[in-house]
Amino acid sequence: MVLEATMICIDNSEWMRNGDYSPSRFQAQADAVSLICGAKTQSNPENTVGILTMAGKGVRVLATPTSDLGKILSCMHGLEMGGETNLAAGILIAQLALKHRQNKNQQQRIIVFAGSPIKHERKALEIIGKKLKKNSVALDIVNFGEEEDGKPEKLEALLGSVNNNDTSHMVHVPPGQNALSDVLISTPVFTGDGEGGSGFAAAAAAAAAAGGVSDFDFGVDPNIDPELALALRVSMEEERARQEAAAKKAAEEAQPQSESQNATSTATEKVSDPMDEDDLLKQAVALSMNIPGSDSSAGDAQMSEATNDDQELALALQMSMQDGSKDSSAPSDVSKVLGDQSFMSSILSSLPGVDPNDPNVKDLLASLLGQSEPQEKKDEDEQPKDDK
Amino acid sequence: MSAAESATAIQRNQVDLLDFIDWSGVECLNQSSSHSLSNALKQGYREDEGLNLESDADEQLLIYIPFTQVIKLHSVVVMGSEEEGPKTVKLFANREHMGFSNVSDFPPSDTAVLSSDNLKGKPVVLKYVKFQNVRSLTIFIEDNQSGSEITKVQKIALYGSTVETTDMKGLKKIEDH
Repeated sequence: MVLEATMICIDNSEWMRNGDYSPSRFQAQADAVSLICGAKTQSNPENTVGILTMAGKGVRVLATPTSDLGKILSCMHGLEMGGETNLAAGILIAQLALKHRQNKNQQQRIIVFAGSPIKHERKALEIIGKKLKKNSVALDIVNFGEEEDGKPEKLEALLGSVNNNDTSHMVHVPPGQNALSDVLISTPVFTGDGEGGSGFAAAAAAAAAAGGVSDFDFGVDPNIDPELALALRVSMEEERARQEAAAKKAAEEAQPQSESQNATSTATEKVSDPMDEDDLLKQAVALSMNIPGSDSSAGDAQMSEATNDDQELALALQMSMQDGSKDSSAPSDVSKVLGDQSFMSSILSSLPGVDPNDPNVKDLLASLLGQSEPQEKKDEDEQPKDDK
Repeated sequence: MSAAESATAIQRNQVDLLDFIDWSGVECLNQSSSHSLSNALKQGYREDEGLNLESDADEQLLIYIPFTQVIKLHSVVVMGSEEEGPKTVKLFANREHMGFSNVSDFPPSDTAVLSSDNLKGKPVVLKYVKFQNVRSLTIFIEDNQSGSEITKVQKIALYGSTVETTDMKGLKKIEDH
């Protein structure tokens, strides 16, 4: 799921008329290109892909890196074959197009379809490769079509000078039964350094690479639709967290500690997901259920992450932590937690934008110690949000 | 600037700007993957003589350092070996996402040619007026002392001071007046 901007260099020279790949080399190439575009945009929605042609009258950029799949596919229509491929110019212009990408955080990648003989010298290609490496551009080469003496060596030299930590790859596709796209699917060009291109790749390949949840929690196969499965899981966790927080607030009003604990334990389901997607919530659930041996020190370390995300959640978690540590001995009333002025001040000072010396905050604290009215609690929550 | 004056300048309320570097945005082009920028910038690593930042494809390096707040840059320390340490260092303030192709497009905020004293740790005092309002710093190492293929940098330290930037934690709600 690497954030990436890709430029695909298409070979539309006369050599592409040949029919040794069905239906023609050019058509096979076009299919492969559309598959790659789809895979890239699926693996990360912010990925962008651009296309340029290397032959014809000269190198022509058909589409600058964009995430709009329709635009990319439509510019593949009506392409004409002719002329000779200018590989060096194609790669350099691809690099230029990537340099001017809108999101500078994207990794740069060029995919070259090398179908015709290469007229450049090995030295020239190596210089280009070094320039790409210097600007941290990765290069994937698809060697197909015309097989000429020296072509593999030249391409190897190019790959060698670009390659930095195996981010660049070369694939050789011989003519034959299998379509170009089918062969490419199983290569790193698609799977991108071993992570899943799971939306597109065969399920078997994806199952190994995707690393998703083994049991289907939500009736959705994470291998087939990882994003949906992830979204469902995340919303389930969030709902649990919200319920927990709500239960904690309900508990503060009147009930003693133990009842609130029961309420939370019935309200929340046990987390069945063994994967550490959200360790923090698991800790909170475990603590609220008074499971002995729950690792409160680890929970403490992870608290700071939660605080940034959700103040309500953090507050609830802090309280559950406090409750868990005060455990069996005294009927540690939740209102006692609130009564611990220093503890409350420390929570509040860790919340951004809330000054514990603020008279409003002090008033709220005082009123909470007295009768905890739900209204004021909401005000306090809104207060930090306003101050932000 | 005499050596004594530049040495005392460090003490005169200039701090090491290490704490103000926004590590999530730090980038280095043309670095070797095994000898990365952290070896030269990070506390502890930069003191270790065995750990260097090395260039990869050729001898040039382009380092981009954003800061968490606006700073004034007073001086830099660039340490390296006698032969493979950097020679010409160009500094650009507040230029985002530069590449090797556009380093010559605009003049640098300051240029330093490092002597062997500098490579041993003597700070290079910069044109302070050019670095009054720095959000990000780009360091372009153009060549090295001996002209070898690889440039090795052992330590990069930045000294300066912060500009009074609003501390959001100190923001208080205005009372009714």
